[in-house]
Order: sequence, then structure tokens, then C-alpha cells
Amino acid sequence: MIARVLGLLSIGAIASAQSPYQAPRTADGKPDLNGIWQVMNTANWNIEDHAASAGNLPQLGAIGAVPAGVGVVEGGPIPYLPEAAARRKENFAHRWTDDPEIKCYLPGVPRAAYLPYPFEIVQSRKTILFTYEYAGAVRIINMDSTKEAPIDSWMGWSNGHWEGDTLVIDVTGLNDKTWFDRAGNFHSDALHVVERYTPRGPGMLNYEARIEDPKTFSRPWKMSMILYRHQEPDARLLEFKCVEFVEELMYGHLRKKTGGKP
Amino acid sequence: MNISRVLIAAAALSAAAWCQNAVPLTPDGHPDLQGIWTSASVVPLERPVELKGKEFYTPQEAAENARKVLGISSWERLGVQAREHYNMSQYGLDLSQVKVASTLRTSLIIGPDGRIPPFTPEARQRLAERAARNRGHQFDGPENRPLQEQCLVYSTEGPPMLPAAYNSNLEIVQDAGHVAIVQEMIHSARVIPTDNSPHLPADIRQWSGDSRGHWEGATLVVDTTNFTARTSFRGSTENLHLTERFTRLDSGTILYEFTAEDPHTWTRPWTAQITLARIEGPLFEFACHEGNLGIANTLSAARAAEKAAAEAAPKGSK
Repeated sequence: MIARVLGLLSIGAIASAQSPYQAPRTADGKPDLNGIWQVMNTANWNIEDHAASAGNLPQLGAIGAVPAGVGVVEGGPIPYLPEAAARRKENFAHRWTDDPEIKCYLPGVPRAAYLPYPFEIVQSRKTILFTYEYAGAVRIINMDSTKEAPIDSWMGWSNGHWEGDTLVIDVTGLNDKTWFDRAGNFHSDALHVVERYTPRGPGMLNYEARIEDPKTFSRPWKMSMILYRHQEPDARLLEFKCVEFVEELMYGHLRKKTGGKP
Repeated sequence: MNISRVLIAAAALSAAAWCQNAVPLTPDGHPDLQGIWTSASVVPLERPVELKGKEFYTPQEAAENARKVLGISSWERLGVQAREHYNMSQYGLDLSQVKVASTLRTSLIIGPDGRIPPFTPEARQRLAERAARNRGHQFDGPENRPLQEQCLVYSTEGPPMLPAAYNSNLEIVQDAGHVAIVQEMIHSARVIPTDNSPHLPADIRQWSGDSRGHWEGATLVVDTTNFTARTSFRGSTENLHLTERFTRLDSGTILYEFTAEDPHTWTRPWTAQITLARIEGPLFEFACHEGNLGIANTLSAARAAEKAAAEAAPKGSK
């Protein structure tokens, strides 16, 4: 209980930090968000509070175990509607087979932000590119555009604008195939995400995602966390084209059996 | 403020806007390559044999060639029989429906030959051995299928970038130290540092290699190495070394040039030039792997065919 209160307090402190910090600027006077970013949390395992637990493959031992983590959801449990709460339980029970990350599928938003892989921001005035190491996922943020999503997709349609020092991205057109984490937290295709990226201090951004999905949740809710900038002089995204690593899992049963005579 | 000065300034502005050769610059003074572009082309990579020795069309011949190429649909051009399979005109993907930059070239490959140089003896042997190994095993498992069918790397996404049969779309975004190229197929982003920093250590090999760039006046020059042995651009090895050059010619075009060299594969380096035309976009998400029913269907069809053949075979022949 005390740990939980402390957890809430620390999250509250993140959210209310009204950055007096003056971030470095780009040529057009906006905060310079260029660089390679990554979280230092275990939200991808479970966006809610979770104790450490065993993994699914005994032979992987400690490597396959789930590290503990304080949740990134603000203000208590995720407000699932009753049916959705039941589905979330189902998802959790089947998490070792049904999590789309297992199949190297595009991660969706906001999950892309807190995967255990870095992502890079290439910031220009009219367009900001978000490119993620995991699966080579890409988002193009249209600044000052009010165009609507032409079609649903895995990474959605992103329109951005600046509110003071905060990059606000309105994400719509997301499909219902992605999860929020490896614990089965999920959403429908009615998902609407508003992300806020605010410089917090040198090499740090406050990241906040407001989640609205009336088919799944009784009210909008938020998650918040900190993104850290990679400081290594030649830090860069490397390739993680995971399709190759899931072919045996997905298509192995269709492979030609080589046991008998050809 | 003097009215005539305002008028002169306005005139200068509109003249600049009107001028086709106005090349925009980024705030840090480099050519602005940003926007959505297509590499769609009405000329092939290699020069047709009947045009041997003729590197350029006359303007009339170029127009005639464009009319000829754009007058037929892609499935006819590609020799694909089943138009039901890939009727690109349905989605506005057909070459005749997209913007294509005009060119006087008769092939993308430049020079008197206009063709990929001959393989070295080493490459001929390597490729023959590889073909022999694969023969009869093309449908054994996912790794026997082409990279594009596996949704690992699209054959034209590069580097080097080539026109695809459809969706030859890419977007360029620049910040102060990087030029990023996003290819619609398969949603890969190549973020190129423009500080000419050294390549990744030799042990880190990537499907798309490792690209480092620098500016030479108005041209972005990109050097790419560190390819995997399996990347195999037209038979190349992991020693493939690419030099790409991007020059914005005017508001609507970029001249893209690449030189491929691999002494283990070709008897000499070779160079191609592609004119990129600016398009409206947007890029769409190409979720190739997520929708890849094709590879599972191909493999299960192969297993079904084997089973049918085994059942049809006379007993005892097993």
C-alpha cells in the first residue's frame, strides 16, 4: 500500500513538473527533440504495477524472467468496461502466444514509445519523423495539418502541433490489432491517443499519452513516464528486422520435412 | 518603409517563386531535399540491346518512349498474365497513373554500355553454386523464398534505391545533422548522419548496410558499407560499397545517382541515375509482414502438391 502511494506520488510529480527548463532550440525556435530516445522502465512488460515473476520458458532461466516495475498509468487501475476487463484477463492468460510483439508485428502507439528498444526523432518544421529500432516501425508526424486518417493502420495517423515547449501529437486511425504491453492490456479500433513530449531537463523528456477508447474504457486515462536521450557520441539506431526471427515460429509447421527420402 | 522597396521585394519574391530553378535551403544552409518523391521511371535499369551505344533519346524520341510505356498497363509491361492478381490501376498504382519524371536517358545505367558490367569469374562460380544449391528447394521453407516475399527487405528499397513495379514512393526529412529517407515499401527509415562519421564496426552487418553522408556543395553524398552477405544486390557480396549522390535540381526534382562497386562481383564499378519527381503523397503504411498471407499459402500449397504427388505415385516407388 505504501509503495503504491509512493508510486502515485512520483507519477504525480512527473506530470506536474512545469518545465522551467529551457531546452536547446532548433533554427525555427522550437525545442530540439532530435536524437535517440528510450525509456528506463518495464512498462512494455506491464503498464500497471507488477512484481517480478517467472518467464514462460524454464530453459531461459533468469534471462526469460519478468522484471518488476511501478505502473505508468495515472490514478489507479485502467478503467476497463466490464466486458473489456474479462477480455483483458483472457489476454493475460494467453500472453505468451497472443502478444503481437511475439510475431514481430508493428507495435502501435503508445507502445512504440516504451518498447525496450531506442527510437530516433528527426525534427523538421513541417514534418517530424519518428523511427523505431523495433521492426523498423516508422511514423510521420504532420505538423500543422488537420487532415484525417485516410485508413486505419498499425502505427496510426499522426497530426502534431506545438503547445509552448510541448510537442502534442494527435493519433487516430489505429487498428485494433496491437496491445499496450506483454500483459494483455488492449484497446479497440476506436482508440484515440494524444501524446505529449515535453523537455524536462538535459537529455530528458516527459512523455504522456492520453488514452480514449469508449468501446473499451469507461473514461479517458493517461500514462506518463520519462524518455532518456542516448548520450554515446555515435549512438544510432541499428537494424532489428525481427521478421527473420519469427519465421520458424510462424511458418515452421509448413516447412518441408527432410526426414524421409526426397 | 519606402513603397518602391516593398514593391521591389515583392517582385523579387514572386520571381523567385516563379523561377523553376529555385532550390530551397534548410535553416542551416544545405539544399532542402524534403518532401515526398517517386522514383517511377519510363526507362529500364539496363539499356535495351537495340539501343546499344545510344545513351540519350532526342526530346521527340523520349516523348514517344514515354507515350509507349505509359500507354500499357503495368501487368502488360511486366508480362504478368493474370491481371486479377495485380491490377494496379484499381488503386491508382499503375505507372500510367503516377507522376514520372521526364528524362532523355535510354537506361538508368549511365555510360556507353548502359548495362551492368560482367560478373567476375569468382562471382559466376559463386552464383552458379548458389543456384545449384537452391534448385528443387525453392519451396522448402520461408528462408528459401525471396527476401521481398518474406517481407524482410523490398528488392527496390535499397540502398541503392530503384523504381519498383508500383509504389516507388519515398519521403525525405532533414534535421540539422541528418537526412532521413523513408521508403513506403517496406516502411524502412534510413537516418543518415551528415557529419561523415566513421562506419559501424565491421562485425555489425545490416540488411540495408550502414550509411554515412556529407555535403559536397549542393550535393548530398552518402557512403554505404557493412551489408550482410545475404543482402545480395544483383549478385553482390557483403563487400558491396555504394556511393549515392542527391542533388535537388529544382522545386520538383532531385537527381539521384548511385555507384555500386564490389570487386568480388563485377569487373568494374557501375553508375545509375534516377530522376525523382515530387508528389503530393501521403505515404501509406506498408504493413507487409503483418498481412503476409502469401508466404504461408505458398508453403502450404507446396506441401499439398508434394502430398498429392506422393499419393499419385505407384506403390513401391517411394
